Amino acid sequence: MAIAIERSAVVTQRLKRHRLWRRVGHGLTYLGLGVALVFFLGPFFWIVTTSLKGNEDFFAFPPVWIPVEPSLKHYAALFTRSSGARYFTNSMVLSTLSMISALVVSLPTAYSIARWRFGGGFLSIFLLVLRMLPAIALIIPIYIVYKLLGVTNNYLGLVVVYTVLYIPFAVWLLVGFLRDFPVEIEEAAMIDGCSRLRALVQVIVPIIAPGMAVVALFAFIATWNEFLFAIVLTGIETKTMMVLVTSFTSGGTDMFYGEASASVVLGVLPAFAVAFMLQRYLVKGLALGGTKG
Amino acid sequence: MRLPGLAMKRKQWEPFAFASPSLVLIGFVILFPLAYSFYLSFQNFDLSVGSDYEFVGVKNYTEAIFRDPRFLGSVWNTAVIIAPSLVLELLLGLGIAMLLSRVLRGRPIITALLAIPAMVSPVMAAMAWRMMYGVKYGAINNLGRQLGILDVYFDWFSSSLISIVAVVLVEVWHNTPFMMLVLLAGLQSIPQELYDAARVDGANPWQSFWSVTLPLLKFTMVVGVMIRLIDLTKLFGLIFVLTFGGPGGSTETVAFTTYLMGFKDFRMSYAAALSYVIVGGVLILTLAFFWMQRVRESRAA
Repeated sequence: MAIAIERSAVVTQRLKRHRLWRRVGHGLTYLGLGVALVFFLGPFFWIVTTSLKGNEDFFAFPPVWIPVEPSLKHYAALFTRSSGARYFTNSMVLSTLSMISALVVSLPTAYSIARWRFGGGFLSIFLLVLRMLPAIALIIPIYIVYKLLGVTNNYLGLVVVYTVLYIPFAVWLLVGFLRDFPVEIEEAAMIDGCSRLRALVQVIVPIIAPGMAVVALFAFIATWNEFLFAIVLTGIETKTMMVLVTSFTSGGTDMFYGEASASVVLGVLPAFAVAFMLQRYLVKGLALGGTKG
Repeated sequence: MRLPGLAMKRKQWEPFAFASPSLVLIGFVILFPLAYSFYLSFQNFDLSVGSDYEFVGVKNYTEAIFRDPRFLGSVWNTAVIIAPSLVLELLLGLGIAMLLSRVLRGRPIITALLAIPAMVSPVMAAMAWRMMYGVKYGAINNLGRQLGILDVYFDWFSSSLISIVAVVLVEVWHNTPFMMLVLLAGLQSIPQELYDAARVDGANPWQSFWSVTLPLLKFTMVVGVMIRLIDLTKLFGLIFVLTFGGPGGSTETVAFTTYLMGFKDFRMSYAAALSYVIVGGVLILTLAFFWMQRVRESRAA
């Protein structure tokens, strides 16, 4: 009996200490994550507040971290003086077109890999190798060819390039979604006299639509973020947001802070939206190069 | 009745038909340009001189590999930027992933918030940081002065060493979230029973980290580092906006030098040769990495 009491005292003491340590551990965990959040989100916070500052706030000391009278005049200036509205629209149009065409082209390819093991695994490896290929190796010949064909400064030329750049990524993700799709449903449709293409479009697509949305969003953001092809192949009419932003760097390190920060805010908006929508797929998408052109 | 199995056999062309749109496009937009570029790399095509060109053999390649201090310097710069970036991204990513894996409430939202930098384009990341580094209006100098750490408006891009540190910092900020996501996924796939077993055997948290977490996470770490290594060899947009290669070319990466060669000097053939040297380099790097991995594994076994 005495022994039992003694033991339980030791156990409770241990438990207490254990709980204390756990609480300290939890505190440190959240502290560490708090530091990480400040480091990774701080720049965004600063850019947003800077874009809302008045001109006199830029050289105030002590510095103004949060403007007292936030104003949208830098956004207005960006949209009018720097034709920001046009370049924002360009980015939107290009990203939407590339997203749609990447899906349309990649879906049947993914289907032939998923259903018939087309290419016997070779094709999927080949696509992975393409993902490793540096864009700089492509831009030189493509620029020369486009120049000859006269399709620089042209939406179509860019959309074709982007579509092809995202095929590897889109096919890899889509193959995964298609493999999860039960063959029986599709076979049932085909026994009822449906052609394979119609089965793909009318039976499979509605069911794997969420997966396709994931691919679509990654393709959208990849086009939105792409820079090398955009800066070489676009002209004054087809410039994207990424190209517009670089025009603010000409004034040394102290440039047009107002408009530059406003353009960064607009340029990162889709990333914010997509990061939350695609949480579950972020690893796969990023690993396959879903956000890089 | 038509059986789908029979129908499939009858239509041998169907897989090709379904795959053909992609294959045709890849042929036109990737394979043909690559072949053309390869052909070009043996000519002396220079758009600033004219559109005439002649076969010059491997001259462009020998110039790139043996006689071009600018390109060789950019190879060195790229390595100097890659090495610390990879190490820091791996360590920080692992640390944050381990913290996240201990969090019980709010993990999805914290993860999504931390992942945002990785979704942003390199150009936007670089622009935000370029403004933060700004001499008079930048957040860093202003914060430093307010806290009394700095007493002058410091120019972060005045010396090559500090510029490289500044580039690495932005790169780490931009891509640590990717490493974190990959490693978090890896951590979550380690079965909890292994940790329970280690605890029963009397292992403290440190020991279970070394003998359970690390060995089981190794493959994920290798994959993550590999992907970052390949992507870092393409470092371009970040440099373009943040330093434009300066000061004195000390942050010019291979992709950036090739870009300048092609689209500033218009030496198209030479730029094509450089791009093939880069492709070769990346290929060798990748193979060496896998080979090292295999050697180490066979030694461990």
